[in-house]
Amino acid sequence: MLRKKITLKLQAKFLIGDSLIILISLIFIVFAFKTFWFFETGSVVQVNFQGKTYGNFSLFQNKKINLIGKEGESIIEIKEGRARFKSAPCKNQYCVQQGWIHLTGQILICIPNEVSIEILGKSKAYDSLNY
Amino acid sequence: MTHSIIKIKTTLLDHQIAQLSAIAIGLSLIESVLPSPMPGVKPGIANIITLYTIYQFNFKTAMWVSVLRVFATSLILGQFLSPTFMLSLVGSILSLLTLYFAIKLPSKFLSPVGLSVLSSFAHIAGQLFLVRIWLIPHPSIYSLIPIYSVAALLFGFINGWITYHLLKRHNSI
Repeated sequence: MLRKKITLKLQAKFLIGDSLIILISLIFIVFAFKTFWFFETGSVVQVNFQGKTYGNFSLFQNKKINLIGKEGESIIEIKEGRARFKSAPCKNQYCVQQGWIHLTGQILICIPNEVSIEILGKSKAYDSLNY
Repeated sequence: MTHSIIKIKTTLLDHQIAQLSAIAIGLSLIESVLPSPMPGVKPGIANIITLYTIYQFNFKTAMWVSVLRVFATSLILGQFLSPTFMLSLVGSILSLLTLYFAIKLPSKFLSPVGLSVLSSFAHIAGQLFLVRIWLIPHPSIYSLIPIYSVAALLFGFINGWITYHLLKRHNSI
């Protein structure tokens, strides 16, 4: 029984198929960047305090939220579509030093005082914390 | 006294497969030493041998070379049956499957460059799929797709280009 043999011929330089494949992959790459690397400006900040959601606040307001936890008083500031820890009672001050956040999925955590703030948008962004 | 020597009859093709696999294994080992910017972004130069074999021999031979390469390399590096090996195997199988269908297209249509790009995309697609369902079952994996696609296109193109020149030099067909 003879098997049908596929013979491949080496063709000269660039061919239609090659160009097509490269073009399609370029389009795919652009599409992939646009789809999977979206940075959406958030509209709501969720404040979590002592393991519970303290509340959702619109980012488009000027507001200060004072939370008194185990360590002392954390002050969260909301201003011009952004949010930050204005001050925190903890030793390291990591949360304060990270500054303002405004993109969906960004998150600031103060572990000693059990406060975290997270920016929410229309869709939930993925971050390492979900896993 | 009897000599207990097991003799396996080998054909010329077996030897050729072994030789080609040896080159591919060598390339894989070289590649495993090279630093990588992030896990999974590798040039995949062993694929040059697979493509070369498809042109110089046939698909079946290339399949042998590719699968042998995956097994042997993992044994040498001590990764046999580890996640790295599984990823490598799934990537290779999917890439071979893609090549199997791609070479059925008229050969006027494709050169090694196109085949190489196709197979590297298939390779990374298989790996990401396995990572998604098994290793890191979380949608955040998708944000790696852009990086891996760029790498697939770039290295696929380069490998295809090298294969093309290799075949031209060896005056294939």
